[in-house]
Amino acid sequence: MPAEDVPVPEGPADALAAVVALRRLADQLEDAAVEQAMRAGWSWPDVAEALGVTRQAVHKKHAKRLIAVGVTLRRRQ
Amino acid sequence: MSAIDHYINAILEQGAAEAREDGSAATEAHHLLLAIADDDGSAAHRVLTAAGLGRQTIRNALDREFEHSLNAVGVSLASFGLPKPSRDPKRPPKVGASARLALERGFAASTGKKDLRPTHLLLGILNTGIGTVPRALTLAGIDRADLMARARETLASGNW
Repeated sequence: MPAEDVPVPEGPADALAAVVALRRLADQLEDAAVEQAMRAGWSWPDVAEALGVTRQAVHKKHAKRLIAVGVTLRRRQ
Repeated sequence: MSAIDHYINAILEQGAAEAREDGSAATEAHHLLLAIADDDGSAAHRVLTAAGLGRQTIRNALDREFEHSLNAVGVSLASFGLPKPSRDPKRPPKVGASARLALERGFAASTGKKDLRPTHLLLGILNTGIGTVPRALTLAGIDRADLMARARETLASGNW
């Protein structure tokens, strides 16, 4: 979308609701992208580096969920 | 436990299931609204259905609010093609800030624990002009003030 076409929220309520929606979308994207990477054989350190967080953080946030749904994870390095 | 304790537990449990389904780490007020709409047998449920607000209608309204809020800053859901992530069925979502506020408002709407009924909880969810619930209802063409008035009428008639 060209920069001049990006809409501007009409008021604080719309702007704040956009923040809530963007956070939710970012969380959904992170869950999907991390799962996709781990199913493709990425390591925790690589996923962490790509997200700009520590490997402990990414492991803590996603490992249980991925193990619960049967994703084969590479050992933490 | 009293009947209202059982009801609150059931709504919190169903709300958590709704939160898990949409990938939310926390149960929020709109998840409790979905739970009330899903649990027939209460006057709160009847108030919602009489206004045409079944669970699926509310779900659609919430999805629309999500898209609308993203569109306000130029983001389109249709532009994201990643698969839906898997959910951990064992991990319970926390009770989020908006759900806590809705419960507090619901308790405050009653004159005490003995008076507390499901419709008070519905009023607690509806009694704010800020946040996801009122925005979704407005987008769905629902008059929130009118819905609250109907809920209060139901309470006055003493229904569970």
